[in-house]
Amino acid sequence: MRAGALLFSAALGFAVLAGCARKSALVKFDPLQNAYDTEPDWNDAQRIIPLNYEEAQGKQIFYEQCVWCHADQTPAGPSNRSNVTPAPPLWNDGATLNSLSDAFLEKFTAQGGTAMGKSAMMPAYGQTLTPEEIRAVVAYARAIAVPALRATSRPGQK
Amino acid sequence: MNPQNVRGLIGWVRRVFFGDPARRFAWVSLLLTLSLAVAPTKDFFRQSRQYQRQYSKVIERRPDARALRGRMVSGIHQIWLPDLGILDRCTTCHLGIAEPTLADASVPQPFRAHPPIPHDAEKWGCVVCHRGQGPATEVAEAHETTVAWEQPILPVHFIQASCGTCHLDDLPQAPQLDQGRQLLARFDCTGCHKIAGIDRPAMLGPDLTDIGTKVSREWLYKWLKEPRTIADANGNVTVDGIDFGEPRMPTFRLSDSELQDLSAYLSTRNAHPIRPYHFDPRIVASLSKRQDVADQGEARFRQMFCSTCHSLAVTRAGETSLIGGDIGPELTKIGSKVNPDWLAAWLRNPQEYLPHSQMPRYEWSDADLYEVTRYMETKLTDPDLLADVPKLGSPTKTEIEAGQRLFVDKGCASCHVTEGLSPQEDFGPDLSAIGSRNISQLDFGPAKVQPTLIAYLKSKISNPLSVNPSGRMPQYHLDQASLDAVTTALLSLTGPPSTRGMEKLIVARQNPEFHPAGEFGKLYERYKCYACHKFNGFGGTLAPDLSYEGSRATRQWLLQFMENPQTLRPTLVLRMPQFNMPERDAAVFADYFETAMQSPAVDATLDRKQFTPTMAAAGKQLYEKKYQCQACHTIGSAGGYVGPSLGNAGNWLTPGWIEAWLRNPQALVPGTIEPRQAFTADEIQALTAYLLTLKQSGPANGAAAAPSARGTK
Ligand code: HEC
Repeated sequence: MRAGALLFSAALGFAVLAGCARKSALVKFDPLQNAYDTEPDWNDAQRIIPLNYEEAQGKQIFYEQCVWCHADQTPAGPSNRSNVTPAPPLWNDGATLNSLSDAFLEKFTAQGGTAMGKSAMMPAYGQTLTPEEIRAVVAYARAIAVPALRATSRPGQK
Repeated sequence: MNPQNVRGLIGWVRRVFFGDPARRFAWVSLLLTLSLAVAPTKDFFRQSRQYQRQYSKVIERRPDARALRGRMVSGIHQIWLPDLGILDRCTTCHLGIAEPTLADASVPQPFRAHPPIPHDAEKWGCVVCHRGQGPATEVAEAHETTVAWEQPILPVHFIQASCGTCHLDDLPQAPQLDQGRQLLARFDCTGCHKIAGIDRPAMLGPDLTDIGTKVSREWLYKWLKEPRTIADANGNVTVDGIDFGEPRMPTFRLSDSELQDLSAYLSTRNAHPIRPYHFDPRIVASLSKRQDVADQGEARFRQMFCSTCHSLAVTRAGETSLIGGDIGPELTKIGSKVNPDWLAAWLRNPQEYLPHSQMPRYEWSDADLYEVTRYMETKLTDPDLLADVPKLGSPTKTEIEAGQRLFVDKGCASCHVTEGLSPQEDFGPDLSAIGSRNISQLDFGPAKVQPTLIAYLKSKISNPLSVNPSGRMPQYHLDQASLDAVTTALLSLTGPPSTRGMEKLIVARQNPEFHPAGEFGKLYERYKCYACHKFNGFGGTLAPDLSYEGSRATRQWLLQFMENPQTLRPTLVLRMPQFNMPERDAAVFADYFETAMQSPAVDATLDRKQFTPTMAAAGKQLYEKKYQCQACHTIGSAGGYVGPSLGNAGNWLTPGWIEAWLRNPQALVPGTIEPRQAFTADEIQALTAYLLTLKQSGPANGAAAAPSARGTK
């Protein structure tokens, strides 16, 4: 009788305490509500791509510096892409850029075409943009790439 | 249960628990032990501990498990910012926040690394930006609204609001916040609300003291009913607005009789009657005979580049779009709007009617003025514009008096001036701390929205009646992106800094003003140069910054350009207007630029003669082969569109400017998109020599002051 009462009250106490602790779950987020900025897929305006802070900064730099030659439409009118040779890859061109490592793209942007043995029409940006800014532009390319770059296969990831 | 049994039970409890001192002692100590166990047990089941155990499992599967395990600290983590009054335990669960190898999407939350940001997350913690309850160690308490804590986590979509609580100045890294702040200013929210950081400008809506001399009572009725005269199938293109797709004047929900009264009141505002302009009768006689006088006017309208500031709706293949700038109002139906005498008087001197107007005062010949006004009166019209307005007749005294009362009651007086009326004080609520408002302080009214501040703000702005059916706030028509931007800007308004530590962090807003005196100052006001150009940090962004124009352009070129502004840039829609500036005005500008608008980085003594043809030949090689500048610049017709044409660089630019520019373009024009190259001193000399040889004959060729292709910077 005594032991029973003892056990009963102990069990009750633990049950109450355990009930207080809610189950922890891995929380799921809506990717667009939790994006710093977004960009529509260049090939499919309906598909909205979430961008994190770094990618969003890359987007801004891209639309200031690179859009003229690395896109077919610019905010200010016609693209300059047809005036340069060879035609630069579109910045969302996953088929071309996915196979190149972050380190290569960053180096190419910083040093320009000539230093990399390619067309001098790609200027060197190493004295205009900081390494962080260049990394951001590359991160932006990765975010908007079509076909998409699989995170696990991302080359040269730091 | 009968009393006998109850008594028996109590007796039993007495005997078993307190029968003798030993029993008493045993039971009390057991109870004590149990109550002491409550805290550790609770701690054992704490969510944060569960997350810490989960984290250990997650990192076990990673290739760098050892290193991650080594850096993992169990127990409660804490960042304390006493200056800000912030205690932050978020990293107790968000364990991988500073682990760069946990950045990819395969890492489950809450363990993923934070994307790189300019502030050190380990130093500042999370709640500074994300809000929520820092000391909590339970998900719901930390993230959501609770009874004791009403500030939930800010969704990342609105996170730029947090940037705005300290950074009161423009912040290019936070475009949504910047856009929202611009919209708050553009839509004149400060007309009715107090908003810290946004100054009330001298003029919000136009001064209506003499509106009766400008438009008819019918037009006023139509405008007040719905201030949009053009809309495409989606209702996107509107009266005034290109980027924003929205007129600055909101829609007031006015009844028919209110419209009658207000239009009566406003159409009788004509204290200063228009003095009709008397054209030279010979010019009128010769021009009015011509069939094509309106076409001539249209050609002049184009040549003068009115479209740099004013847009016209153009319908092509069923789609209407506005072509032109948005500094001034859209003009598609101006001929059906304004009185012809008013139009001629306005064009001759806009500031006589509206002292604060940004419209420059052009120099007109009678022929030009006649042709352009005929064009606007006959071609920019819409015969159906006022078709749905009832017959109004002449205003009665009762209508006018009622209209005057409405003008104050409805809040018109908060943005518009009329003679003798002053606005109601504090017409709308103070919004300076709206972003930290608790939910219990909000009145959701009949709105069926989630009980959050964000949902409240969005509902209120997109439809003010949704939360308050009898409210006075007018209706704006914002698209989703603008609505989110305005919401972000409002969320950033958290009131005055709560602590001294916070005060130290505030990055103040800079509002430079530049209004020089003297002859130049008068012309600067007359031509409203600062509507488009920047001078020492003050002015518009449409056209190039002229702070160093005296170092950049040669005097000869400046004089020619102002007389006949042109650009060779093929892609530019917006150009410097043709002011028909007299030579003496151009000379005043050139003088002032030469003396006052100089860059210390430019060597003004550099002489053209020291650049030899040999240098120029070497420069040509560098330009065409090594650096291939033609990727972005044209000479003649070949080349790229990104930078200005250089075909006339030798006439346009000074040697000192070219040299300094090649050394470091950003030092001369911060933020210019010209990439800085690693030229050697010899290369700079050679390129300068080459550019100085590039000359075109003819008036002010050369593109020169053309804005960069994106029209700013
Ligand atoms: C004036 C035009 C121009 C501008 C502006 C420009 N690029 Fe390029 N870019 C080129 C050209 C041309 C190529 C092709 C070079 C080649 O393949 O020989 C290129 C190639 C590249 C490549 C190499 C891609 C590959 O397939 O190997 C990268 C990376 C790149 N650009 C990055 C940038 C970035 C980042 C910016 C902006 C900061 C930028 N570019 C701005 C013209 C430009």
